[in-house]
Amino acid sequence: MEDRVFSVEIRAPVQAVWDEITKLGKVQVPMMNTVLETDFRPGSRLRYYSPDRKYVLVIGEVIECSPPHKFAHTYVMTDLGEAPTLVTWELHEIPQGVRVTVTHSQFSEQSAKTHKRVKGGWAFILENLKALIEQGEVPFKTRFQYGLFGMLMWMLPKRARTENVAAMEKKQ
Amino acid sequence: MSSHDRPPDPLEPVWKALANQWRREILDYLREGPMSTGDLAERFPEVSRFAVMQHLKVLEDSGLVVVRRSGRSRINHLNPVPIQQIYERWVSHYEGRWTEALLSLKRQVERSRETHLPDSHSSTAS
Repeated sequence: MEDRVFSVEIRAPVQAVWDEITKLGKVQVPMMNTVLETDFRPGSRLRYYSPDRKYVLVIGEVIECSPPHKFAHTYVMTDLGEAPTLVTWELHEIPQGVRVTVTHSQFSEQSAKTHKRVKGGWAFILENLKALIEQGEVPFKTRFQYGLFGMLMWMLPKRARTENVAAMEKKQ
Repeated sequence: MSSHDRPPDPLEPVWKALANQWRREILDYLREGPMSTGDLAERFPEVSRFAVMQHLKVLEDSGLVVVRRSGRSRINHLNPVPIQQIYERWVSHYEGRWTEALLSLKRQVERSRETHLPDSHSSTAS
């Protein structure tokens, strides 16, 4: 199945973008309002939590972390629980600032639903990343959508709850 | 002169890239999935391979196409982000009803949640 590639130009120093996408312990607003937890060492676990930490939305394993240019990790949406795929962030310095490219790859029949779902998701994330870094905030519409996500969290399957994701992590 | 003082529209290269029929047709193909430059050129027998490559260069410079290498070939991917930006700038303003629909969904969800919550302490629940 084909790779999904997304790219955006951000008028800011590369370090500002890197700091945002690798921020720990606080909500990464563009990243669907999640909290990242990892130690960035290859082979280490990686989790994207809901803001209240009751759910883990994405799990994975760090593949490569080369600040401030490349961050690659495997990626599983916990509510789907499909086969792991690969997400690669690449930050290239350009005269106007930085070009941020996300390549989502290694899809198979066992990750077909993930393939379908990430089609619009990354465009949304990159657009909000640009807005946050260039303008200091994401649009109202985004915050509104997050409010809605928050209210619909209870609809996520039990396996996405924080106390249950370790079982899914073991399987990978 | 005054137009030179204006900050450049960051989407300018995107508009320019879209203002060409061949390039829009290339994007139509890429929307179906990534394609190598060779395969794309074959879809346009009436245009030279060189011209297709020139068009791809304009699309790449605008950010509408991202090129990934795979062995000896260049694979062209459609990047949906600029399209989304155009959508946000020009289309989303006409979407008042969309927000309204979301708000009404929010109210409905909240209501249905309330009715599902155990309300043993509430005597007013009907």
